[in-house]
Amino acid sequence: MTDRITAAAAGQAGEGFLSLKGLTKRYGGFAAVDNLDLEVPKGELVAFLGPSGCGKTTSLRMIAGLVPATSGRIVVGGQDLTEVPTHRRDMGLVFQSYALFPHMSVARNVAFGLEMRKVGKDEIARRVKEAIALVHLSGKEEHRPGQLSGGQQQRVALARALVVRPSILLLDEPLSNLDAKLRDEMRNEIRDIQKRLGITAIFVTHDQVEALTMCDKVVVMNQGRLEQVGTPVDLYETPRTAFVAGFVGRSNRLKATARDGVAEFAGESFAAQAGLSGPVEIMVRPHRVALSAAGADVTAGDHRVSGIVARTIFAGDILQYDVDVAGQIVSVELATRGGETVLQPGAAVSLSWRRQDVFVYGAAA
Amino acid sequence: MDERPVSLALKLMALTMFVFLLAPLIVVVPISFSGDSYMMFPPSSWSLKWYPAIFTDGKMTSAFWTSLLLAFVVTVLSLLIGLPAAYALVRLKPRGAEAMSALFTAPLLLPTIVLGLAILIVFSRYGLLATFQGLVAAHLVVTLPYAIRVLATALATLPIPIEEAAATLGASPFTVFRRITLPMMKSGLIGTTALCFLVSFDEVVLSLFMTGPRISTLPVAMYHHVEQQADPLVASLSVLLVILTLLVVLVVDRTSGLAKTFVK
Repeated sequence: MTDRITAAAAGQAGEGFLSLKGLTKRYGGFAAVDNLDLEVPKGELVAFLGPSGCGKTTSLRMIAGLVPATSGRIVVGGQDLTEVPTHRRDMGLVFQSYALFPHMSVARNVAFGLEMRKVGKDEIARRVKEAIALVHLSGKEEHRPGQLSGGQQQRVALARALVVRPSILLLDEPLSNLDAKLRDEMRNEIRDIQKRLGITAIFVTHDQVEALTMCDKVVVMNQGRLEQVGTPVDLYETPRTAFVAGFVGRSNRLKATARDGVAEFAGESFAAQAGLSGPVEIMVRPHRVALSAAGADVTAGDHRVSGIVARTIFAGDILQYDVDVAGQIVSVELATRGGETVLQPGAAVSLSWRRQDVFVYGAAA
Repeated sequence: MDERPVSLALKLMALTMFVFLLAPLIVVVPISFSGDSYMMFPPSSWSLKWYPAIFTDGKMTSAFWTSLLLAFVVTVLSLLIGLPAAYALVRLKPRGAEAMSALFTAPLLLPTIVLGLAILIVFSRYGLLATFQGLVAAHLVVTLPYAIRVLATALATLPIPIEEAAATLGASPFTVFRRITLPMMKSGLIGTTALCFLVSFDEVVLSLFMTGPRISTLPVAMYHHVEQQADPLVASLSVLLVILTLLVVLVVDRTSGLAKTFVK
C-alpha cells in the first residue's frame, strides 16, 4: 500500500540533502536565528530542540518559506530555495494547531495539495485513500475536521502533508496540543511512518523526551544559536556546552574555580579544558553518581567527595538523595532493588563517580 | 445551561418590551386590510384592495425598482470595496491601520442629517443630485463602514496557520484567498451582504437630500405619499416590506446563524 510513496520519497541516501548555510533572521537588532549551519542527510528525522524563543520555530518557518531569511541560504537536493515562495517549495508542514481547512471534509483536506499539483482525478482518489489508511483514519473520509478528536485531526494533517510526497516533512510541535497518552502513541506512529516512507523530516520540539526518543539527530538551539548537533547518545553522553548538559537530561551543575586547566571542588581535582582558568561549572548526571555510607568500603570511582544527606526522596523506582557537599547540593539517583536501607537526612555519605561522567565548562559570563 | 425559574416581574417586563417593539406592527397590519380611504385605527371596514393598489401606483412601482437596483448595486460595490480594504487593514497592516479603520467607521458616528447636508452641497456642484450614480455614492458612505467593520472582524478571527498550510501545499496567494480565506469568511460575507442591502433599502434621510422629481427611492416615495394623501396604501406596502426584511433575516439565519454573523 505504501510502496508507491516509499519509492518516490526514497532516493540516494547521502550527506546534506537539506543544507542550511549561515541562515540568519534578524528582527531589528535582535537575531532570532543567528548564522545557522546544518546538513541534514536524506531520510533522517532531525529534531530542533530548545526552550521557547530559541529560534527553532523561526528556522523551520524559514525552511518552509513562511518567514523570509535575512541572510544565508537554504538548499534542498542541490537546489537553492532561499528566494522560492512557499507554494513552490514542495514541503509538507504539520502545525501544532493542526490548521485543517474547517470547511472541507477529511478527504478534501487531504486532496488539496494534489489538486494544487493538477494530479488526475482518479489518482487523487487513490492516493487520498492510501494516505488516509496510512494514518488509520479509513471510514472518516467524509467527516469535517470539527467532528474529530485532536489526535485524529493531527493524523489528517499528517496525511495531508504526506500525500503530496514532499521533499521534506516539517513538523512544528505537532504533539504539544495532545494529552500525554495520545502523545506517546503519535510519537511512535510518526516515527514509524517517517521510517517506512524514508522521508527527510525536521521535528521542532521543546520536549527533550520527544527529541531523544524519536529522532536520528538532535539540533540543540539556544538564543538563536546552534549549541550542538548529534545523535541522542552524543548529546546525553558528551554534551559540549553547559547549556546542552542542563537542557538534555538531568544534571548536577557545581560551581567551582579552575586554574590552568584543573578545577577544584570539595578537595578533588577535575580535568578541565587545557589552560582554562576562572569560574567553571562541573557537570555530572545524578544517576552516574555512586553513594555509600561514610566509612563503608568505597565503590570504584575516579573522583570521590564526602557530604551530608540533606534530603531523601523516595519515588518508588528511584531513590534520590540531595547531598550537601562543601555547601553545594549534589543530587544522586539510585535505582531501587528492594531491601536497601534508606538513609535519613544528616547521614554522612561519600560520593564517587567515573572520570568520563564528568564535564567541566567555563561558566557563562 | 441550568434552567432558573424566571420571576413574574421579569416575564412581565419582557412582555412589555415585546409589545413596545411590536406595537407598530399591531397598528400597521390591521390598517393594511382596511376598507377605508384614509388611515384610521381600528378600520371601520375590511378589504384587500390596498394591496393590488400598490402595483398600479406608477410612482411606487418605479421607486421600488429603483430601490431594489440601488440596494443591489450598493451591496455589490460595498463588498468589492470593503473586502480589499478589510484585507489590507487586517493582513497587510499598513502604517496607521488603526487610524484608518477609525476614519472609515466615522460616518456611522455622524448624524445622517449632517452627512446628507454635506453630500448635498458637494454633489450639487457636480450635478450628481437626483441621479442614480449620486444615490449609489451617497449610500456607499453609510454602507461601507458596516462592510469594512464586519469583514475586518471576520478576517481577524481567521487562524493564519490554516492559510499557511494551504501555501505549503502548493496554493499561490490568490488561490489561498479564493479557496481558503473566502470560504472561511462565509458568515461574514453573508452578514455584510444582508446588512448593506437592508441599510441601503431602508435609507431615508440621505435619500431625501438626493432624490427629486426625476428619481425617487421607495422609502422617499412612501414619505411623500403619506404627506399628500393618508390612504392605507402605505400600510399595505409596509407589511410587504416587513415580510421582505424578514425573508432576508431568515436566509442569513439559516445559512450561517444570525447570532454568529452579527454578534461578535
